[in-house]
Amino acid sequence: MESLPLTEPVLLILLSLADQPRHGYSILKDIEQVSEGRVVLSTGTLYGALRRLLEDKWIERFEDADTSRGKQSYRLTAHGRRNLRFEVARMKKLTRVASLRVARES
Amino acid sequence: MMIVYRNLLRLYPAEYREQFGEEMAAVLLDARAENTNKKWIARGRFHFREARGLIAGALREHLRVLTYAHVGLSLSTGRFAMRNGFRFPKSTAILMTIILAGVIVAIRKGEAIAASLPNVSQPIAPIHSAPSYLLPGVIAGFIFFYAAGLTGWAILFALRRSGIHRLADLSEK
Repeated sequence: MESLPLTEPVLLILLSLADQPRHGYSILKDIEQVSEGRVVLSTGTLYGALRRLLEDKWIERFEDADTSRGKQSYRLTAHGRRNLRFEVARMKKLTRVASLRVARES
Repeated sequence: MMIVYRNLLRLYPAEYREQFGEEMAAVLLDARAENTNKKWIARGRFHFREARGLIAGALREHLRVLTYAHVGLSLSTGRFAMRNGFRFPKSTAILMTIILAGVIVAIRKGEAIAASLPNVSQPIAPIHSAPSYLLPGVIAGFIFFYAAGLTGWAILFALRRSGIHRLADLSEK
């Protein structure tokens, strides 16, 4: 995959959209929750990443009840979901190797 | 504080503002409402983070518009990635620099070869080597044309007649 590994904000945004479509503020809150408060994205960083993800067609706009209240929701495209799977598989492989090596050290 | 944020949002390119401006303002409003009851240190940290994010984001977007560079989603691996959006002027500037470096190396090599040759002609007719103005001339010419190009572009940009503005006008129509 050409675009892997992903930056942490991008990975967290994709993970946030993996289970359901979300709007901007909901993505921010979910990332904060998933990372246990370690990663708190600013609005500027979030929308910079969303713009690139939209441009690369990893995510798309999604019309729902929030849209009518002025909150645009986003969801993963099939392409984005496939890339997220690749990234998760890559990280799993890396974690497995890292665990083996760390265990050997101790 | 929302006034400050709205002004910071104005720093973004027009096209970006049109696409995301209102959404970003709504998110900032929600985030601010959530932080209202927090301690002043937490509020200060929040405002600093948001202001920094907006300024950095605006700079990044302007840079993207100016260079047509495609900022990827991945971590940098140090490899040179040739992508569709990566054309001008970054690639042209790099090529010009490589060509200039090649010319300088060739001149230096030529001078070194000339200096290493035995001076066989001295007994017949002494030759006084003229000072070489070629290398400084090439560098001065490069700097001059580069500066002229930049100045011209800056004037067009200030007059809102650069290629970017014309493309923006076309897309608006």
